[in-house]
Amino acid sequence: MEVMLTVKDLEKSFKDKKALKSISFDVRKGEIMAILGPNGAGKSTTIRNIMGIMYPDQGAITFHNNGNGIPRHKIGYLPEERGLYKNVKVMDILLYLADLKDYPLDKAKERALQYLKKFDLEGKENVAVEELSKGMGQKVQFIGSILHEPELLILDEPFSGLDPVSQEIFKEEIRKLANNGTAILLSSHQMNLVEEMCDRLFMIQHGQKVIYGTLDDVKTEYANFKCTIHGKNEISELEKIPQVQRVEQNDDISILFLEKDIQPTNWIKNLPESITVNELKINRISLHEIFIDIATDKNLLKEAGEANA
Amino acid sequence: MRNTWKVAKWEIKRNLKNKTFVIGLFLTPALFLVFFLIGSLIGDSDGEDTSTTVFVNDEINAMTSIQETANLYELDWDIETTTLSEDEAKEELEDMEDTAYIYLNEQVLENGVVSVYTSEEIDSYFNQQVQLLGEPLQGMRIAQLGLSEEEMAILSQGVVFENQSEIEESTIEGQSGTDSANLERIVPGLFAGIILFAIVITGMMIFQSASQEKKDKIAEIILSSVTPGELMQGKIFGYFVLGMIQVVVLLLFAIPIALWQLDLPILEYLFVPETLLLVFIAILGYLLFAAIFVGIGATMADMSTSGNFQGMVMMLPFISFIIAGPVIGDPSGMIAKVSSYIPFTAPGVLIMRLTTLEDWPWIELIIAIAVLIISIWIFMKLAGKIFKVGILMYGKNATPGEIWKWIRS
Repeated sequence: MEVMLTVKDLEKSFKDKKALKSISFDVRKGEIMAILGPNGAGKSTTIRNIMGIMYPDQGAITFHNNGNGIPRHKIGYLPEERGLYKNVKVMDILLYLADLKDYPLDKAKERALQYLKKFDLEGKENVAVEELSKGMGQKVQFIGSILHEPELLILDEPFSGLDPVSQEIFKEEIRKLANNGTAILLSSHQMNLVEEMCDRLFMIQHGQKVIYGTLDDVKTEYANFKCTIHGKNEISELEKIPQVQRVEQNDDISILFLEKDIQPTNWIKNLPESITVNELKINRISLHEIFIDIATDKNLLKEAGEANA
Repeated sequence: MRNTWKVAKWEIKRNLKNKTFVIGLFLTPALFLVFFLIGSLIGDSDGEDTSTTVFVNDEINAMTSIQETANLYELDWDIETTTLSEDEAKEELEDMEDTAYIYLNEQVLENGVVSVYTSEEIDSYFNQQVQLLGEPLQGMRIAQLGLSEEEMAILSQGVVFENQSEIEESTIEGQSGTDSANLERIVPGLFAGIILFAIVITGMMIFQSASQEKKDKIAEIILSSVTPGELMQGKIFGYFVLGMIQVVVLLLFAIPIALWQLDLPILEYLFVPETLLLVFIAILGYLLFAAIFVGIGATMADMSTSGNFQGMVMMLPFISFIIAGPVIGDPSGMIAKVSSYIPFTAPGVLIMRLTTLEDWPWIELIIAIAVLIISIWIFMKLAGKIFKVGILMYGKNATPGEIWKWIRS
């Protein structure tokens, strides 16, 4: 796939604190690339450096298929801190944003109406922004960022503050844009959403890379199987079961973290008959758990993964 | 440049569609108009009320000279003769208004004291007006002495103090409204003053616009399409056009009224080369304050939380109004000269001085304008630096220390 954007060895400090340490990744045409990380990890700082709103202390940001500088007209950007002018009409602001990108106005108007309809905002084009609800405002901002058919779309926390229905609409639209060849870079801390849609991810903590790769790679590398058992059992009993790395127990629920290369069916067959099972569940560790693990600096999962690697 | 113009066009369109702005646009001239009309109404009613009925009990045949004197000074008096005695007059006056009794008898010629009785309500200037009658009466007293005409002339002429300095002449232009030579200079000055005032007031909206942009959190979206410099210039230029629209609306009201009320060839006075220079100074003033406002606006989270520092900066344009008195009183004086070289006061002071001074101090003028242009350049640079960082700082005001750091970076 064609690389649209390359970030190489990005460094940025605020006062004495290093906000970004040697961040490198690239974004390709037609893929969704996610930057994940807890609050304050450096996601927005990375994005702001890419957008030229901040300047990195070191490192290079290269937009391919472009001469010098940031191809502002080909980028759509939805910042984390976002809003709209209050006392203007929805259509006026959308056309202004398109005009700033040098997009033809008649085409912009047509597309704006299409998108408003798609996002359930039909007939709102002449309503003042201040009369919209927060969710509606978010949708208008999103439309504003994609109206000019950008080649690269950068979304900073696009799902924050959205209800599940709107999240679904956004997800679908972002997916569709990627399928049509738009390169998409999004940041989020909502793992479940990202897990469902991203192709590759870059996880960041304390301004440093933690994981970088495709979703599948990450899952095979970090996401071992785990077995959740509901029922009263002694922790020492469970730890004796073969191929169990670690057990977490909470009241009557025990989570058994399994070794990397197990066969789930074989492993179940070898369970001792003495343990109480009211309910049993086997699944892979989710991105969410990996994220929590990293965010809380436990790094247990990672160590486990490396131990097996 | 294209983006600057787009931002400017947007600011203009956004404000012209905003009801508050449109109401304000017409309210400003309406207020001017109301004050003007109230002023002239009070003036008119004064004129009607002052017509005073003056009864003269004339025992010395001074009636004709009194009439002449009243006409000469255009006193608003109805002069009638009476034969009432002083006691009768007192009774009569108890239920009268704007009436006076003057007793001219032998005593006047002997002692020079005239008995005057007035009603309780009387024009406040009557006591001064009545003194004017002293002149013909004094003449009559002197005539009694049987002197030659020359001697009489010397005696009755008295001594006059005349101020011969230039300043006196130039400062009285305010009162001597009929002096057309002065008006020729006042009209362009007034015009430039109105422009400066209107665009500085509109320019203060830049300040609000910049801080509102932060509050609405749209700055970052806009900055993904334009550079901070373009956004700032667009705002400055946009609000300049809005200010000019305000001036045009103001003049649409003011010029017809001025033509109708003042009956002077105002348009003729207005279209002179001097107007161009004065308007140029006004525009320079706008650029300076616009740069300051846009920079300061970007450092503030919200209008209501402005700190002392920001408040002080907001007052800068009004310093020239504060020192208007001394500057107009002595346009070549120390205060006027020094404040011409201080960029914050220069636009206002220069306009005031050029309006009042007959001979323009060209060297001073050129230096002052040069200082002004250099400071505009510096302040635009500084504002650009502050704006770039400040506009993306959410939720808090910048301290002067922080602003200093941004400037140095």
